[in-house]
Amino acid sequence: MIKQLFLAKVKEGEEVEIVSIKAGAKTAKRLADLGLTSGTKIKVLRKAISGPIEIKVRGSRLALGRGLANKIVIKRDLICKIKN
Amino acid sequence: MQNKKLNIVLAGQANVGKSVTFNYLTGLHQHIGNWAGKTIAKAEGTLFYKGYVIDILDLPGIYSLATYSIEEIIAREHITKEKPDFIINIVDATRLEKNLLFTLQLLEMNRPLVVSLNMSNLLEKRGMEINLAKLEKILGVPVVLTVATQGKGLTTVLDRGIDLVRKTENIKPIKYGEEVEERIEKLIVDLKKADFPYEPRWLAIKLLEKDQEIIKDIGKKHPELTAKAAGLCRELEEIHGHDASVIIAGERCLLATQIIDQVLKTNKEKKVSLNEKIDRIACHKIWGYPTMAGMLGLVFYIIFLFGNWFSSLLAQITSGWRPAWENLFGLSVLSSLGWSAIESALALFDLALPFIIPFYLLLFLLESSGYLARVTFLMDNLMHRMGVHGKACIPLIMGFGCNVPACLSCRIMETERERFITGFLTTLIPCSAKTIVVFGLVGKFVGLSWVFGLYAFMALLIISLGRLASKKVKGEAVELIMEMPEYRIPSLKTILLQTWFGVKDFIFVAAPLVIGLGIIIKAVSLAGWLPLIVGFLSPITVSWLGLPAITGILLIFGVLRKELILVMLAGLLGTTNFAQILTPAQMIVLALVSLIYFPCVATLAVFWREFGWKRTIIVVITELFLAVLLGGLAYRILNFFI
Repeated sequence: MIKQLFLAKVKEGEEVEIVSIKAGAKTAKRLADLGLTSGTKIKVLRKAISGPIEIKVRGSRLALGRGLANKIVIKRDLICKIKN
Repeated sequence: MQNKKLNIVLAGQANVGKSVTFNYLTGLHQHIGNWAGKTIAKAEGTLFYKGYVIDILDLPGIYSLATYSIEEIIAREHITKEKPDFIINIVDATRLEKNLLFTLQLLEMNRPLVVSLNMSNLLEKRGMEINLAKLEKILGVPVVLTVATQGKGLTTVLDRGIDLVRKTENIKPIKYGEEVEERIEKLIVDLKKADFPYEPRWLAIKLLEKDQEIIKDIGKKHPELTAKAAGLCRELEEIHGHDASVIIAGERCLLATQIIDQVLKTNKEKKVSLNEKIDRIACHKIWGYPTMAGMLGLVFYIIFLFGNWFSSLLAQITSGWRPAWENLFGLSVLSSLGWSAIESALALFDLALPFIIPFYLLLFLLESSGYLARVTFLMDNLMHRMGVHGKACIPLIMGFGCNVPACLSCRIMETERERFITGFLTTLIPCSAKTIVVFGLVGKFVGLSWVFGLYAFMALLIISLGRLASKKVKGEAVELIMEMPEYRIPSLKTILLQTWFGVKDFIFVAAPLVIGLGIIIKAVSLAGWLPLIVGFLSPITVSWLGLPAITGILLIFGVLRKELILVMLAGLLGTTNFAQILTPAQMIVLALVSLIYFPCVATLAVFWREFGWKRTIIVVITELFLAVLLGGLAYRILNFFI
């Protein structure tokens, strides 16, 4: 099995894609209402020390608590990876 | 032309310029109240335009029309039940995609709608271009470019809205994915037969979204409908492999992406934006914190400097009033009771004018500039240690100025649970009045290091109580989800209005209790009962806390206003050299007890209104108990050292 990668582990400046959200229906719905669904491309802008994580999503900037970022499974864009 | 009445609402996400638009349209013709039975501010105003009397309601800034927060429930109930003549959907043009998610939800409600693309003047700067005609065609509603801070385009928004009302033609709904639409249609057929007072398409979508409120509502009369919806949900879940609620939200996301692809052209920004440059320092892992401390320190420094100056000026102005009153009415029981009422009212103004007004002004300035969101971002980690998330730091910071606005600002927290925990913690923050007591006693006679020690102790106490409360108070802990707004130059008009309504609120809530208690305490002292109370309290004050008996009186007056503890002490002693009757240990104990034992009566009044009497009593008893317990322990420990 491939190891799941969570948003909280992504470095600043990386662009990734949401695979799934490992949380209850309520939290998943909340995130979806804010535009975070599987397939959504996001960029990690900034991380506070063991604190929230700031991302760019759908042309807007959002701060998410670290616990929440630990529930969002992501994958790195292959093309980006090769380029880097 | 005859005056026609129109009811409209402003709806939009947070930080899109909704209140700026509202203030531009209504000016001072507005009324800030509360939603019935809720502690959410309701802003209404009136506008006279081209022969129309337009009542405008500013709905709370929200991200969706789900039932996640009280604001969202209020907003959607208003639109579905009151059926406004049209909705102005305010959208931040520079964040169109994100905002479209909300616009799509509004469109589901099938009310006449005008989209106001605010901050359109920034589009060119950001290298963005929106194809207006295409957007209008896709959404099926008028879209107008506006700049709310300058009032640009707002009359066009109104004109287009009034046109919509005149035409009253049906809006063609935007369609989602086929398999979803199919099931929406199936439900609409039945919903139309059942004849609910709401838009059938909206109900159908909400049923598929598993909206608990709607399911409950419909299930009461038509359980067969909710059962059918549940079946359709299961079908969708089988196709997609997600929960149905997420599928519908996902459909909106998909549609928003498709719309953006068609209407928005973005030329990549080459330069690093000013916003990003500021954030590189303001949100920096290390430098962000000293920057924040400096900013907030400056704010408090300005407030204390201005407040003390203005407060002493007020004292000078009103110093002659008491003799004048006594000249006029003589020295009777009634006249002293009357004077104590006036004295309490004056005290209220003495707090409001020099401290609360500048505090609100600076705070709203920081908020509308976008900086408070950065503070929230930086403080989230620390706040989590207290069991709440980053947004709680705003009420807590306000608490250093005055606990009253701090308590009121707990409304920014999303759930009842976070709201109460934050409110409880704010009542323990050393406000400006408590600070006067601590500095006047401990700072002056024992040493500044002990002041520092007391504050450090309070910080520890607040953190541990926060942890404890977050374990005890029922409900799920909420994580921080917050939009990071771009920095912008604040609108002076909006800040002034917010301050004005905040101060008005404070005076109206606090005045009855402050004046009432002032009269009662005066009556008790006139009746000669104070020595009785002192005697009654002495087992606690003298035996346990090790303080002189008169401190019983001080603590009673301190409920009225915390700084009275110091003022009364000077009055009773006839000197300000407190070292004559209090040992250093006693001073520290008295300061500690003053910091914890009771919220002042003004705070009590707002706390009561925000959280109900049950929770108020719990908080008061907890704090009294803690103050006595910790004060007594401190006295015993301190006697070892000093």
